[in-house]
Amino acid sequence: MKERMQNSSLKQEFLKNWIKGLQLHTNFNKNTTILERRKAIKLSADIAIASTRNSTTRWSRALISDASRDGSNKTLIEKISGREAPRKDSFGLIRCSKKIMKRSRVTRQIRARKAVLPSVVGASLIEKKLVKSRTRALKRLVPGGEDMDEISLIKETIDYIVSLRVQVDVMGRMASVADRLIPFKSL
Amino acid sequence: MNTSCKDNNHAQEKMIEDPVNYHAPNVLSDWQINGNNLPNSSVGMTRLGNSMVESSACSTTFMPDSFCPPVWDHPINGQSLGYCDTSIQNQAISSSGLGQVRAGMNWTQNGMLRGSILLPAVPGMVPPSLPHFPTDPAFIERAARFSCFSGGNFTEMMNPFSTSDHSNPHSRGFGPIQRPNDVVGTTGVLEQALVPGERSVEGSSLKNERKSQSFRLSYDEAKHGVDVSANESDEAEFSGRGAQEELAEADEDSCGSGLGSNKRKRTPQDTELNEIVGAPLPPIELLKDQVETKLKGDQNHDSTSKPGGKHCKQGSQGSDLPKDGYIHVRARRGQATNSHSLAERVRREKISERMKFLQDLVPGCSKQVTGKAVMLDEIINYVQSLQRQVEFLSMKLATVNPQADFNIEALLAKDILQPRAGMPSSPALQLDMTMPFPQLHSPQPGLIQASLPCSETLGRPINLQSVALAQVPGVWDGELHNIIHMGFNTSGPLNSQVLSAFAGSLPTGNLKTEP
Repeated sequence: MKERMQNSSLKQEFLKNWIKGLQLHTNFNKNTTILERRKAIKLSADIAIASTRNSTTRWSRALISDASRDGSNKTLIEKISGREAPRKDSFGLIRCSKKIMKRSRVTRQIRARKAVLPSVVGASLIEKKLVKSRTRALKRLVPGGEDMDEISLIKETIDYIVSLRVQVDVMGRMASVADRLIPFKSL
Repeated sequence: MNTSCKDNNHAQEKMIEDPVNYHAPNVLSDWQINGNNLPNSSVGMTRLGNSMVESSACSTTFMPDSFCPPVWDHPINGQSLGYCDTSIQNQAISSSGLGQVRAGMNWTQNGMLRGSILLPAVPGMVPPSLPHFPTDPAFIERAARFSCFSGGNFTEMMNPFSTSDHSNPHSRGFGPIQRPNDVVGTTGVLEQALVPGERSVEGSSLKNERKSQSFRLSYDEAKHGVDVSANESDEAEFSGRGAQEELAEADEDSCGSGLGSNKRKRTPQDTELNEIVGAPLPPIELLKDQVETKLKGDQNHDSTSKPGGKHCKQGSQGSDLPKDGYIHVRARRGQATNSHSLAERVRREKISERMKFLQDLVPGCSKQVTGKAVMLDEIINYVQSLQRQVEFLSMKLATVNPQADFNIEALLAKDILQPRAGMPSSPALQLDMTMPFPQLHSPQPGLIQASLPCSETLGRPINLQSVALAQVPGVWDGELHNIIHMGFNTSGPLNSQVLSAFAGSLPTGNLKTEP
């Protein structure tokens, strides 16, 4: 009961934010190509769903900061989230330090691999390699995932999946409504 | 009520042949449909004699499991159940030791309780006055298989329940409840389970509460989000997960109870900790460790007392958790006591905990297929598919003329986002026929129809639904006006039509969803 209301309130909030962003676009963009429109819609949706989290999760912060990196989105972000777009610097420094660490780790791994060549590759080794490569892939998928350790990565993934589902749900309904409006649709 | 009980009995017997998990959703749905009858049945029990106790208790058996929140509010129900037979009580104790409804079903199937009554498998619901218990060895063995201790002594189980049944409902009120739709309970336990992990790392309780809240929110939506694309496997997974949590809760209980006074000290500490923090990390470890010990088929009381002692000591140490911010971990038997390996173990357990949540979230992650690599693969595929869906939908929406329709769609979409409770009555929510728009409330049949059976099986009492409806539209109306004022710049007559349709549909929606 309660969680239903929570879930529907999340959807409401996402929709509200999204519409705010969309209206910003419709106000000044009348002659846009379909690709531009798609980009605007997706951007509004992403920022909207990220702002429903109110910067409590890392993926939401990373998403918004990525979007704000491009200067033209500042107004969008501010309108949707209702607060100042985060400054680049704080995230940039963290990223720099993490990149340095990663680079050193990678070179270490390369050296280690060259040094030891196991003649027999056991199943556990294969498993470990698989897990590692897939963890890396997941980190690439989740926004801001590169800087996370495994434990928080999983937690962020859970939250991200939930938000994605909400996003897909609301957008899907909106699209179906658009289908119903076919008499009024014009490309 | 009698017929429903018979249905339940049949359902029980059905479960005898089939795997428990498979039928759990069906049975649960039966139970929940009876949810309305709970207050009546509890009252009815006072009037019925022993012969009728069975039929009424049938409904009460399932009701508390599926409808625990009101039960907690009416502790008198426990009293009303008090005059069941000793056999019933015994089974109740053992079933409450399980903390699992499903396990109770298994017991039925094992012939111990066939045709007899299962008291709710809810600790704290146990009636305060209990006579002796059977010492049937087979019974105990089966109980042991499902509960957290083996060769358990039921009298010991009893006392903590009677003493702690008031303190525990707060913390454990959600644990034993397992319904596919009772997300709050499971969420509460889940996020409680997660929070201590964070706390141990950060050592700050404030942060953790915030995180727990955000996580609770996200996980609530996760649970409910699963309902969106609901299918039976999801429900089975829910019950599976709920079983885990119930087991965790039952482990807490039984750990406190199964081994005598030492453990009893733990339960007040534990409940204290629960109230402060939520289920601490040790119960999770407890769950794992105890499941391991049980799986090993260790029937020796002494040997279980050792790991039990360890875990319960963990529990008492766990109560220090909020103070010094460290996790006190004890090495298990035959394990290295190196600090690194202990930390590794804690880390691994945290990770596996969360992987379990992910397993429930991601469809197609069956319980049998474990192994990080496979699950990670599934997770990656799922996240990729969701992201692709978002892109596709945004492209689809881009085909709509931006000039005309964003605002209209906003309004329409808001109406579409009527709470799920409104969905079953979606045919009733037709707009005015003069409107050019066709019926708006069957968008994406897959989504809605998936949610329809879900909401039906959830079987919430209709009065709750109407309450939800009554509350939400208030919010909707406010936002609707905001949206309108925010810059509604499409053509006039169309908009007025839309507005009138919306204004009309909201109250009619309210009326029509009431049965």
